[in-house]
Amino acid sequence: MDNLFLKRIQSLRDRLSYMQDIFAGKHADSVSLLLQKLDEFTEKVNNDSLTNPYDELVALEDLFKYVEARLDASITPLDKVRIVRHPQRICLRDILENVYDNFTEVGGQDEHSIDPSMVIARAVIIRRRGKKRYTQSVMVIGQEKGHGAEFRNGGSVKPWGNAKARQFMRVAETEGIPVHTYIFTPGSFPIEDYPGAAQQIARNIYCMAGLRVPVVSVISEGGSGGAEAIGLADKRLMLSNGYYSVISPEGAAAIEGHCRGGERPSQELVEKCACNLKLTAEDNLRFGYIDKIIQEPPLGARSYHFDFFRQLRQEILLATDEVVLSAKLSPFKKIGVSHRNKPGVNLDEMYMRWSLTQSAKTRLVKKRQNKFLKLSREAAVDKRPFLTKALHTLDDLVMTPVNEFKYEFYRKHQRKIHAFLEEAENEWDVFRSWLRKPFGKQEEQKVKEAVSSELTSLSTWSDGQRHKRWNYLSPRYKIDQAVTCPNAEIYGCPDLWGPDLFAEFAGVCSNCGHHFPMEPEWYVRNVFDVGTVMEFNEEIEAGNPLEYPNFDKTIRAAQEKTGCKSGCMTFEARIDNIKVVVAMLMGTFRGGSFGAAEGYKFVEAAQRATKNRYPFIAYVHGTAGIRIQEGTNGVIQMPRCTIAVHRYIENGGLYMVLYDTNSFAGPVASFLGCSPYQFAIRSSNIGFAGPGVIKSTTGMDVPPHYHSCYKAMDRGHIQGIWDRRQMRHNLIQALQTIGGRNLYYR
Amino acid sequence: MENPRTELSGHRVLVGNRGEIAIRIMQACLKLGVAFTAIYTPEDKESTHVSFAREHGGEHGLYMVSSYHDANELMAVADVSGCTAVHPGYGFFAEDFRFARRVVKRDRKMIFLGPSWKIIRELGDKINTKRLARSLGVPTVPGSDRPIYDEMEAENIAEDVFDFQLQQGIDHPLVLIKASAGGGGMGIEEVDDIDQFRSVYRRVRNYAARQFKDEGVLIEQRVTDFNHLEVQIIGDRSGKNQVHFGTRNCSIQSTGRQKRLEVAPGFDPSVNEYNFDANKVLDAITQYSLTMAREVGYDSVGTWEWIVTRQGAPFLMEVNTRIQVENGVSASIARVKGQAGVDLIAEQIRTGLGEPLGYTQQDIEFEGFALEYRLIAEAPENNFTPWVGTIDRFRWKEHPWLSVHTQVPKSPYNIPTEFDPNLALAIVWGKDLGELKERGLVFLKELELQGHNAAGEPMKNNIAFLMEKTPQILKF
Repeated sequence: MDNLFLKRIQSLRDRLSYMQDIFAGKHADSVSLLLQKLDEFTEKVNNDSLTNPYDELVALEDLFKYVEARLDASITPLDKVRIVRHPQRICLRDILENVYDNFTEVGGQDEHSIDPSMVIARAVIIRRRGKKRYTQSVMVIGQEKGHGAEFRNGGSVKPWGNAKARQFMRVAETEGIPVHTYIFTPGSFPIEDYPGAAQQIARNIYCMAGLRVPVVSVISEGGSGGAEAIGLADKRLMLSNGYYSVISPEGAAAIEGHCRGGERPSQELVEKCACNLKLTAEDNLRFGYIDKIIQEPPLGARSYHFDFFRQLRQEILLATDEVVLSAKLSPFKKIGVSHRNKPGVNLDEMYMRWSLTQSAKTRLVKKRQNKFLKLSREAAVDKRPFLTKALHTLDDLVMTPVNEFKYEFYRKHQRKIHAFLEEAENEWDVFRSWLRKPFGKQEEQKVKEAVSSELTSLSTWSDGQRHKRWNYLSPRYKIDQAVTCPNAEIYGCPDLWGPDLFAEFAGVCSNCGHHFPMEPEWYVRNVFDVGTVMEFNEEIEAGNPLEYPNFDKTIRAAQEKTGCKSGCMTFEARIDNIKVVVAMLMGTFRGGSFGAAEGYKFVEAAQRATKNRYPFIAYVHGTAGIRIQEGTNGVIQMPRCTIAVHRYIENGGLYMVLYDTNSFAGPVASFLGCSPYQFAIRSSNIGFAGPGVIKSTTGMDVPPHYHSCYKAMDRGHIQGIWDRRQMRHNLIQALQTIGGRNLYYR
Repeated sequence: MENPRTELSGHRVLVGNRGEIAIRIMQACLKLGVAFTAIYTPEDKESTHVSFAREHGGEHGLYMVSSYHDANELMAVADVSGCTAVHPGYGFFAEDFRFARRVVKRDRKMIFLGPSWKIIRELGDKINTKRLARSLGVPTVPGSDRPIYDEMEAENIAEDVFDFQLQQGIDHPLVLIKASAGGGGMGIEEVDDIDQFRSVYRRVRNYAARQFKDEGVLIEQRVTDFNHLEVQIIGDRSGKNQVHFGTRNCSIQSTGRQKRLEVAPGFDPSVNEYNFDANKVLDAITQYSLTMAREVGYDSVGTWEWIVTRQGAPFLMEVNTRIQVENGVSASIARVKGQAGVDLIAEQIRTGLGEPLGYTQQDIEFEGFALEYRLIAEAPENNFTPWVGTIDRFRWKEHPWLSVHTQVPKSPYNIPTEFDPNLALAIVWGKDLGELKERGLVFLKELELQGHNAAGEPMKNNIAFLMEKTPQILKF
């Protein structure tokens, strides 16, 4: 037998073992049938007893195709998860070789790379129009799983890999070429280094929120934060067998089943979670978080599916063309789009320039931002009465131009008049003192007497409330109990008496300064001016967009426990008479998890701050990350809220983030971590994944204080650490000394 | 004092202290017929206060704790032994308003034998005290009476304080910059030149911001040439009956400003000459102190501390809201309704538990002079360095005019290094200053205090220092 023949048999064997792997024991009859046929055939080949070997091989291959097609129809979400993780799954290098015409990998060759799990390549696509050939450059960025090569780390990118991606996005921006990103990651590597995982992802998302070139991304395995690090695109395509999720089904099952330590959840639970998480391409298309599904061959695309690569090339070209067209103000825009969407069209034979003018770039970014800002609103329960909503819209319509006039025109001129008056007053003072000169001596004597009486008699001082320092005390102060400081063994702190600790001490150990967690109300009442806190959008409620089983009840319980409708409270308040907009993530509501409702409120708050030119403060009382039961409805808040914040900052606002207790995962890795001014309350922890998750996903032992705010400051993530009792003072100080150009109070 | 003690007998007092004050509290309890519970730590097991408690305390009379500083342990002992009141002594929790508050606010409430926690808090705050004094026309050290946060304002005040001193005829004016939130001598610096002020001010301010989380500073005149006087006050729980037990002069101190010799009353113009009318000054500070005590409704024993300059200007320094080490000096010259044998600790316990004072200022008279020596194992010639070792022999001759309070047993005694270094207090009484000095020297000469340390060297003590100082008492 010739070599090729044997190769084709081997290929069938691979297909069979692939099938066994992805179904993990299901469809055993089909698999054993194929196995039997294949074994019989091989037997015959070995005995040389085939009469018509090629025909029989083709027949067998057809049988494989038939069975594969049949099984493809009954694929479950968990099967898809196994497909994308399989070593035979197409990987980025397959795409670079087969979809693009030529490419140069930048910054890496096999394991010699700052992070081999992130591959960057300058690739070219050659298109023709008539006889003329046009070469178009793109920046390809994506995670590389490398068919299971160990040094690729399964596509789990370390912070410096993401930093490299960001660097080359900027290069693409400079060169004005589109970016194509390919997402093949189970999630980011949860390491806290220089920078930390969350810190870097936040930078990436912030960068992409304003990237002035077309971005198209293709999702095969979209694991939460790792995916978002390169996933904020003008168009998001998704492979039909891919998944895009907030967490792996195993991770969700471990949480659902309350697994501790090395315990593993049952297979049924994992299967159930995979279904509940709604992580498939169809689900995500329905939610609107992807734009299109690219159909894969039965049971998933593998390296030899050359038809699929051709199809992928067409889709990529189409998507890029459409993005470019959408930003242009060309009279041929509509025609161009409809031309390209006709069946059987070959985009290789249609050329269009991918470069954009400055104004087109601005439109492109604005369009991208608007698209994301509109997403996921239905996933929250908006119980605002119709009238409130209408007033809201009206207010937006009226106040935006009014504020524009007030701050851009009126204030500027007012300042000039003010300066003139001041000068005149000065001159008058000088003149007056000259007039008074002859009567100087008497006054001097008077001054002397006044001084000595000032030094020995009671002065006026309007700080009568020195002992009533706090407007709000933690209710725990009523319990007569001794509380042990967690640092007692290290610093020898004496036990604290609860009523002292939770009232006068504001939850701070008087010996070592350890901060015990306090309630969100403590901050609302003690940090802002009394009686100025005005909540808005409190009617937007956390819901259950995935209809996750039993989750309605859980949410209701949290609402009853906290008296809040969601984990994010947004309010306007004054601090030292400066008006600010605050979004507070409350660790008391489902661990401070962040979902669609929270995202909705956060975006609204940022927009309100933009409109009114107020400082915007995100006070993170605590957040455990994206609410997993909301699936991608939660994940999408990462780019969404980052975009809202990006707009606010670019408009000249001051966005400050303040972390308290524990802040982890998605929110830190996006709209919180991207703030230029981030501070932490002492004893808080900041990071990407908690110690337990790090241990179970990487096997790495976590050193003590790995996520402490001091370490976060070492990493350059935060800019300062505040004592809780000084928070009001420090905020005032910060508002007076740092901030954007558009804040009116300065 | 002859009242039947029916309402006192149901009480049990936790003696939250050690050493001689613990003994004096227990003795007072015995005298009043009140049960007590004493505590001790392992380092103190040889102390006389432990053997005293074992002997006289009965069941629940003595418990071992790991630290005198652990409030939780004290509360646990109080609960187990069924205490109804806590006497903090001096030091430890004596002026800790939080401890006092805890005692009265916890689920099983007790009586704190000291002023109410609000008074401790109010008078424990130096700014509050100063402002209270000024609001009542009580003289305080010239300078600011509120925290200054602004550098320009601070400099203006400092300039004024310099000018003020020059006007008063002080040749070398000094200005103190104090962290307003500080205490115990931390965050205090002095300036003798206005040009240096800014840099020192910033240093203190930054230190205060770091250490106390409050940038505020006080700016005051630094008084250098003065005598340290005290006024002893006591009031009952009604908060309306305050009387004074005279004045004391505590000017003989170690280099670290620790008292070594106290005399009552505060001045003696019949023997010594002063630049001012001494009786008038003593009267003035006594009345000022009483005014303040009445204003706050003072309801326990307390001491108003004053400095008196060479010109006779008094300034209020601070209020000690506790029984003091030297309370015995005032007691020994006092006569209530003509009776000697006044015990201020017993008065504190008795009134603290709710009995009315039972006498007025008219019932209190003073007779003679008294002084108190603090006997300490230290080397006065070498900056009062404490000496560590074993006491082999400690004997004195009894006299009717002498009382000695000590926790040192007759057997050899290792001085614990963890605590206050006082070994014994000797209180001497004389009908006039001459007799007092004489008797004081007699006592010191008769005193035998010997010991050795681990290297076999003989014990160092401050007897010679006290002898040298005795002839100078009450001289400005």
